[in-house]
Amino acid sequence: MSYRSTDVDILDEDQLFQKDLFTFAGGSEVEPDVALKNVQAKGVDVRNFLTRGNTEKALTTAIENPPYGSNTTDAKDQNTKIVMEVLNSIKATDIPSIVKNLTLEQQDVLMKYIYRGMASPELYNSAVLLNWHEKLTEVAGVGCIVRVTTDRRTV
Amino acid sequence: MKKMLLSLKMSPTEIHQLNLGPITAHAFNKDRSQVAICPNNNEVHVYQKSGKGWNLIHALAEHDKLVTSIDWAPESNQLVTCSQDRNAYVWTFDSVTNKWKPTLVLLRINRAATFVRWSPNENKFAVASGARCIAICYFDEENDWWTSKHLKKPIRSTVLSLDWHPNNVLLAAGCADFKARVFSAFVKGVDQKPPPTPWGDKLPFNTICGEFSNDSSGWIHSVSFSPSGDALAFSGHDSQICIVYAGGETQNIRTSSLPYLSLLWITEEKLIAAGHDCVPVLFEKQGQQWRFSKVIDVGKKKVVTEATVFNRFQDWDSKGIREGSKEIELNTIHQNTITSIRPYQGSRHDISNISSSGIDGKLVVWDLK
Repeated sequence: MSYRSTDVDILDEDQLFQKDLFTFAGGSEVEPDVALKNVQAKGVDVRNFLTRGNTEKALTTAIENPPYGSNTTDAKDQNTKIVMEVLNSIKATDIPSIVKNLTLEQQDVLMKYIYRGMASPELYNSAVLLNWHEKLTEVAGVGCIVRVTTDRRTV
Repeated sequence: MKKMLLSLKMSPTEIHQLNLGPITAHAFNKDRSQVAICPNNNEVHVYQKSGKGWNLIHALAEHDKLVTSIDWAPESNQLVTCSQDRNAYVWTFDSVTNKWKPTLVLLRINRAATFVRWSPNENKFAVASGARCIAICYFDEENDWWTSKHLKKPIRSTVLSLDWHPNNVLLAAGCADFKARVFSAFVKGVDQKPPPTPWGDKLPFNTICGEFSNDSSGWIHSVSFSPSGDALAFSGHDSQICIVYAGGETQNIRTSSLPYLSLLWITEEKLIAAGHDCVPVLFEKQGQQWRFSKVIDVGKKKVVTEATVFNRFQDWDSKGIREGSKEIELNTIHQNTITSIRPYQGSRHDISNISSSGIDGKLVVWDLK
């Protein structure tokens, strides 16, 4: 009966691995500690923009150059925290105009962060995120959400 | 002042409910008097047009599993069908016995076949499969059977869709490994050496003339060559449509709608896409930029029936609707995803009518003018 516990997939001569299917940035991935340093530097800039009241610049800086990669988890967590800070500090009435000024790429990245934030309701305020989600979907449509689900470059 | 009424010769949209369940694939014959569909089972049903409707005249039952794709060659009048049972059949009509005779095609694949298309000269056809290869099939006169050659490298996952270039040699394939590729399917003995195209010059079998993908990596559901063959459009599951010119220029359209499953060029500057949004939409090249132009199906306003108490209880009894005005029908013609759009009328460079079929079992013919 031991054949039932045989893993037939490892015996398959033509296996498909994640790395064959998809590579980040064409193979030249950023090192995790370099990514973390970049994110921390970004955090300083973002905080400066926030204290000066320039919320739109704060948001665009926070979602710029996300730390995509297969082992940059610390950098990703840190970046998420920064983005959440910005989203929480923007007034609800300003959201529609800010969202309209984003480029299509920026809208996609912002939607990725909204879902990332909603995945940890114990850490981040879901009500605020839900409001952002509604306003962003009005402008970007469901295609934006579809791209969040299909894109392998997660934040 | 008298207004001049121009008489627009617009044929109304024809809607045919040919099946209660999904229509998996459809193909018209040359003069559009007959249509072959797969009603989501292992059979192929051939319908004959009579007046405004269709009559079922043949049921072709040779496949063991779901028939995934059908193509009807307009000149030679042969049908090719492929199925999840890893087989393809070429059907020839015998007018003496009034029956379609199947001929088995040796595909030599060990997974389901997903898509099949005759080449422009109808001497070959290509079958896409889940076995990560494309079988190019041609008729071997010596042995009197249809035999195949495989396009394997560098496909890494199921091939979802195919389109032939007008020169009968190049083939575009959309794949679940997030890439759209242009292959050379030149078969010695069947094809003459083609004149050079912008896609390449020396083209032995299985040469890759181009490999393209989207940045947000979605399965490529549909590929389509432009009427001249110099451009390739493909749509991915990430709701993006990409148009690539053989010279190297690429344009990416991030759409705000659900993914498109089928694309069709109607002129060198216009593209129709249809999919999970249940309506065909038009993309146009304005100047140098491709952009979304309009939705083909305007959608009808629902007639509001009187919400009398009797109607409300009737709805509750028959449809399970508690509140009177909840809408259960979409206000578009197709009630579910459109899976396939095909040219119905017009030349390759200027298609005037298209046909669409989908998961709602409807076959619709649209007038684009």
